Amino acid sequence: MVSTFKVPIGPQHPALKEPSNFTFDVEGEYVVNVTPRVGYNHRGIEKACENRTYLQDIYLIERICGICSHAHTTTFCQAVEECGGIQAPPRGIYLRTLVAELNRIHSHLLWLGVAGHEVGWDTLLMYVWRDREVVMEILEMLTGNRVNYAINTIGGVRRDITPEQARKLTKALNILEDRTKHYRNLCLGEKTLLSRAIGVGVLKPNVARSLCAVGPTLRASGIKSDVRRDDPYAAYDVTPFEVITSDMCDVAGRVVVRVDETLQSVNICRWLLENLPSGDIRTKLTRRIPPNEVVSRIEAPRGELIHFVRSNGTDKPDRVKVRAPTLGNILAVCEMLKGGYIADIPIVLAAIDPCFSCTDRMLFVDSKNDKNWIWSNEDLKRYSTKFYAKESLPGRR
Amino acid sequence: MSEEKRAPTEQKKAPLPKIEPQEIESQKIENENSMVEEIKKFLGEDLIEAKVQRPRRIYLKVKPGAHRKTIQFMKDNWGLYHISTISGLDLGDNLEVVFHLNARNVAVNVRAEVPRNKPKIETITDLLPGSNLYEREVHDLFGIEFKGHPNLERLELPEDWPKGVYPLRKDWKAPE
Amino acid sequence: MVGQRLIKWARTRSPWLLHFNSGSCNGCDIEIVAALTPRYDLERFGAIVKGSPRHADVLLATGPVTRQTAARLKRIYEQMAEPKFVVAVGTCATSGGVFSGLYNILGGIDQAIPVDAYVLGCAAKPEAIIDGVAKLLAKLKGT
Repeated sequence: MVSTFKVPIGPQHPALKEPSNFTFDVEGEYVVNVTPRVGYNHRGIEKACENRTYLQDIYLIERICGICSHAHTTTFCQAVEECGGIQAPPRGIYLRTLVAELNRIHSHLLWLGVAGHEVGWDTLLMYVWRDREVVMEILEMLTGNRVNYAINTIGGVRRDITPEQARKLTKALNILEDRTKHYRNLCLGEKTLLSRAIGVGVLKPNVARSLCAVGPTLRASGIKSDVRRDDPYAAYDVTPFEVITSDMCDVAGRVVVRVDETLQSVNICRWLLENLPSGDIRTKLTRRIPPNEVVSRIEAPRGELIHFVRSNGTDKPDRVKVRAPTLGNILAVCEMLKGGYIADIPIVLAAIDPCFSCTDRMLFVDSKNDKNWIWSNEDLKRYSTKFYAKESLPGRR
Repeated sequence: MSEEKRAPTEQKKAPLPKIEPQEIESQKIENENSMVEEIKKFLGEDLIEAKVQRPRRIYLKVKPGAHRKTIQFMKDNWGLYHISTISGLDLGDNLEVVFHLNARNVAVNVRAEVPRNKPKIETITDLLPGSNLYEREVHDLFGIEFKGHPNLERLELPEDWPKGVYPLRKDWKAPE
Repeated sequence: MVGQRLIKWARTRSPWLLHFNSGSCNGCDIEIVAALTPRYDLERFGAIVKGSPRHADVLLATGPVTRQTAARLKRIYEQMAEPKFVVAVGTCATSGGVFSGLYNILGGIDQAIPVDAYVLGCAAKPEAIIDGVAKLLAKLKGT
């Protein structure tokens, strides 16, 4: 175990004026230690929420993450509704859950394409994202926008679903189920993907528990923990669904968990459509929310998302605390990378489905050979593909 | 997951039951109430306030320093292993740290106040290793020091942010 | 003269893109990647996304520019070879969007580097991104 040993890197190294997202201590081909740097996306949202009304805050909270934006507004609106002591009407709750599951489908399909891209299989990216357009069109039809739906409001949802839209949604769900089953068979049968995924990025269950991992990363280590089941919110206490886990504890397990969760989401959407109650979609709430404090937890596509909202009797919140799921997985991913090849870094990082910025820069420190260098994401991906091309036997590809 | 199956025609007319029916609520609060009784017995005077807000939500206020044995008790008796996050609060006279924990599918929130001029509290990273980054975040944004933390460095603010300036405290206003 | 026209023709027919996220919510970034996928297909303009600033002609920048990324954004811009163009994608990149005025935000790409084209939207739709790149190419052809 390498102790905290700081390599003196002076200002004369031209590449090091830019901060890097990760610092890897390496020995030859193996990663010995990982130091993450987060905070590139720190925009000061929590402070800004205190100066805006609850309704204005929804638009700010939504843009914490564009991929799971609906998850953030659901959590926030649930928290404020609980502070104010009201509940959204059943039809509003069901519509909120429906859009949440469509959000999950879109996020998992996005991840599948990105995972393909990280192992160098761009064809998978193109195919999956083409099929993901089906769910993007549906979301645009239901909510008016492809990203940042703004369908949640305090007290319910803003738009209703017409019978014509419900028909189109049913057809789209059939297509999505077909294509997802096809990708499931493809990913589990395709040797090039499996050789990059099986045994890579292993996270044992006891380590996952002690590092408090969340979401599919945790479930792929065999732990049956899902906020939709453990702490039901919205319509999840009446909706029939299964919590998907996998005993594989590696990247392949995470692929399986996400693809199967997509199939579960399709079934949940179908059930919600068939059992949609009639009535209002929204209850009115007073501008001033009485003093209260609420912890609101939901299962975003990436894992457990938690908001802590304190109200103080005015129309602006006293404190809004947000913990996005990726932060919960960072310690776990550092553990997963240790002892692995440098070439495995892209897929292991991608397997926790992070919301990092796209042009990562990674600093490698080889203290034994006294070298250090900076690679961009592209450099690392090229290295990985070459490394695994060397590893595979001739004639096997 | 047992809800009655409704025929498609009649279910459009009848409204569905409320999401949290009263009968199930009272049963579940029994579980939370018994948990609160256990912790009252264990902590005695160290427990300042205990509140069951609704099913699956418990709020405990403890004396600063007693949070560690509370968490140890929860680990030994309630199977606690998951911490969701740690929040900082600015209450005016004092700052407050809230540990959002999860045990027996109940969100248990343990809070401890620290004085504003000396905001120090013991770390819990040896009890729950997953709280490492959360403590760094509270330190970065509120200035609360966690004694015994292995590497209490910056997490979110940029490196050139001035030391000693804590943006999430109420007395800090963003420069225009 | 013919050489100059040939070079300009080559440049406008195959703009190589570099994508940089300066602290955005990832919404515009996934729409940029979606613009490259078969439904919208930005590659029919000859555009391809490269990883290195030295190979790129056009910088597609998103996000309201947090303080941590401002220095990196400027460095990437300096590393690109002339002639280079910048397209600010999304409302945040144009003016800061919902984040304008927050303490860790500079407020738009043009606070750090000069911008040639702005694509609005939150998130900017892939069709709008293609329109922005096409208008930029038309402007180049005209000069």
